Amino acid sequence: MGFVKIENKRVNEHYYRMEHRSGLTIIVYPKRGFNSIYASIGTKFGSVYSKFVFNGREITVPDGTAHYLEHKLFESEDGDAFSKYAKTGASANAYTSFDMTCYLFSCTSKFRESLEILIDLMQTPYFTKETIAKEQGIISQEIKMYDDNPDWRVMMNLFKGMYHSHPINIDIAGTVESIAQITPEILYDCYNSYYNPHNMVLTVVGGADPAEVLEITDKKLIPGKNVDTRLIIPDEPYKVVKSYTEQTMPVAVPQFEIGFKEDSADKYATNKELVCTSVLMNSFVGEGSGLYRKLMDEKLINSGFGYEYLEGLGYRSVILSGESRNPQAAAEIINDAVRKLHKDGVGREDFENAKKAVYGKCIAGFDYKQSIASELMNSQFTGREIFEAADAAAEITLNDVNERLQYQLDADNSCLSVVKCEE
Amino acid sequence: MSYFIRKNICEGVAFSSITDDRFKIGRQSVNMIVPLSRETAAANALLSCVLSRSSKKYPDFTALSRKLDSLYGAALYPSVKKVGEYQFITIAASGLEDRFAFDGEAVSVELARLLSSIIFEPDFENGRFKDENVEQERRQLIENIDSEYNDKRFYAIKRCVENMCRNELYSIPREGSREDVEALTHEKLLSAWNNLLKNAQVEITMLGSTSPDKALEGFANYFGDMPRTPVSVDIRNIKPGEVRHITETEDLSQSKLVMGFRCYYSDDDKTALENSLMSAVLGGTPTSKLFANVREKQSLCYYCVSSVHNSKGIMIVDSGVETENIEKTETAVIEQLDLLKRGNITDDELISAKLAVKNSLMSSLDSLAAMQGYYVGGILRKNQLSPLEAAAAVDGISKERIVELAQKVELDTVFSLVGN
Repeated sequence: MGFVKIENKRVNEHYYRMEHRSGLTIIVYPKRGFNSIYASIGTKFGSVYSKFVFNGREITVPDGTAHYLEHKLFESEDGDAFSKYAKTGASANAYTSFDMTCYLFSCTSKFRESLEILIDLMQTPYFTKETIAKEQGIISQEIKMYDDNPDWRVMMNLFKGMYHSHPINIDIAGTVESIAQITPEILYDCYNSYYNPHNMVLTVVGGADPAEVLEITDKKLIPGKNVDTRLIIPDEPYKVVKSYTEQTMPVAVPQFEIGFKEDSADKYATNKELVCTSVLMNSFVGEGSGLYRKLMDEKLINSGFGYEYLEGLGYRSVILSGESRNPQAAAEIINDAVRKLHKDGVGREDFENAKKAVYGKCIAGFDYKQSIASELMNSQFTGREIFEAADAAAEITLNDVNERLQYQLDADNSCLSVVKCEE
Repeated sequence: MSYFIRKNICEGVAFSSITDDRFKIGRQSVNMIVPLSRETAAANALLSCVLSRSSKKYPDFTALSRKLDSLYGAALYPSVKKVGEYQFITIAASGLEDRFAFDGEAVSVELARLLSSIIFEPDFENGRFKDENVEQERRQLIENIDSEYNDKRFYAIKRCVENMCRNELYSIPREGSREDVEALTHEKLLSAWNNLLKNAQVEITMLGSTSPDKALEGFANYFGDMPRTPVSVDIRNIKPGEVRHITETEDLSQSKLVMGFRCYYSDDDKTALENSLMSAVLGGTPTSKLFANVREKQSLCYYCVSSVHNSKGIMIVDSGVETENIEKTETAVIEQLDLLKRGNITDDELISAKLAVKNSLMSSLDSLAAMQGYYVGGILRKNQLSPLEAAAAVDGISKERIVELAQKVELDTVFSLVGN
């Protein structure tokens, strides 16, 4: 099977996708006139993949394993990938999220050599006691950096306050103690379970030619074995764990996040659902809304206030976050407004404005290679199509949004997380 | 394809446009450049917020936000930053290109009109900025200044620079101090506004696929024949005295080490490029001396990075470490810098730093925000190179030149934020 072209008239963009014989999904997304190429390989394996069955064997890994594996994959027997990339000039990096691990580079020359390095990196795991020990000091400092970061703490505390058993409540990098338990065997187990081409995607965005990508992948890729891997997600009750959680840190202005937990039905959200949520949130609490006005007038938020939708397998919640001298008072006003919203629904004028704003933001994403690459990866892993969001935003109706509201923003199922100042 | 136009509207006001049809979102900005001063820094910062959150036509942030939403989620971004001993007061706007609007509306022209009108036609009440808007923005600006303390890496670097440049204008915080913001009066705000319009060097940029003609005409009308007298300042090379060590303690898991160095300053764009390359060899890439030795070999940290403030002639190296490793890390950084000064640079190190710097220059052409940042950031330097010219010039920089510049690097101040 060769590349299939997928295009969209509204955004005036297109890309090519194929399943390579090795099992890897390859997506090449040309951006006319761009100087650089952004390539990434992702595996559907992140921090929530903490318990799984691999070829009949149940495996539970220490917290922070996916992230540790990301660091260690940069090293192979013949040296580390950073020094190989140094010869091509590519800017390389990697990240681990709740749901995936992604390895990437961005280059303006020597694309072929850089892509070969990226593919090699995926296919040459090399974990020994010594190399693992060396990384402990580095990752411990990364963990401590996050421990001192109030944005991160207020978010992780919120997840712990909302989720009883879903591993979204575990810090992505783990703890200094948990990573000390990681062994070469554990990393090889994870690698063999999830770093399989059938579970991975390569995306190339920018001035690249699909034929060249295919030629390189044909040469380099080793076909994946058939493995039987199954993620275990524990049952998660609908209700939040608690309605309030706090931590004291050396901050000058308290930070807060308020999360409204939803039923996830163990399915990924559709593009239409995501767009409905964006329109709903824009009209409910966007900068032009009455609620935003009230919070500002009461001096309870500042321009750092915002919202997002957290969504993955087994978890969904709307999250509002900001800095506030009085987070409890802000949360009270927000909760009252949520109750009122459920009574009145979203109004016509608010909806029309929000729809335009959300549509504009959907289009804007196609200007950035990085955002295209991560959306492509995300879409591939969640069964969505990258162009559908802009179409959905253009076609959405007020009724769609008010129907979606029925499943969101349950004022009786929220948690407020606060990082407060030292006395 | 893209092409570049630059026109002078009047004394000290230039309008530049890059017409480029690769993007779906256009970007415009008005950059007002004035000498950094304790008397006006806070007023200018507050002014940028007040101006971009309301106008005569859209008298509060709710009305203005709703207008922006109806322009397909267009946005206004106020910002102030220090570039050398100047303060840049910027209001940028971004918005959908007309061809994507539901009914082909002229979004970009309307946005350009909005951008010029918020600067020239603020919402006055009794001849001054409306009290309610000023107080709303003042409170938020104070909270923003306060919360710089929340980000420990940012805070530690800020404290190092403040201490290092305590006798120079560069120690003035970009938004002024909290006390200055609190003390601002309506009169000061009004005079800051008049001063910016009359005395700032103004750089207006418009990037995207829309013809710049209407925007240019709009700004030209507003500025008219306004008598203007832009002011310039002199930036000098400073020789550090004895190295100062400054320590603060806090309840933190990780300590922060910030080392402030003086490096060679010149207002020529080429020197800025050479200093950037020198810093890249030392600690700007994952193959730099600091990354390879302080992180990978000694496992002391997750990050240890050097960066040059080219408009001021200082270089900052910063890292997050265990408290007991602060001294060890400081020694390791000095060791690596000494190697550089002695000419101990491998061909591989130099080549990879050059490739990385070139890659970053070339990549900036793929984003309008990066292009605007590159162009405006270097506007005060002589002989400004385009990203393409700069990328080509990198190849010609010799190892000897890097060593020569490294030898001019001298440690001035070490700031440690010591945790538990």
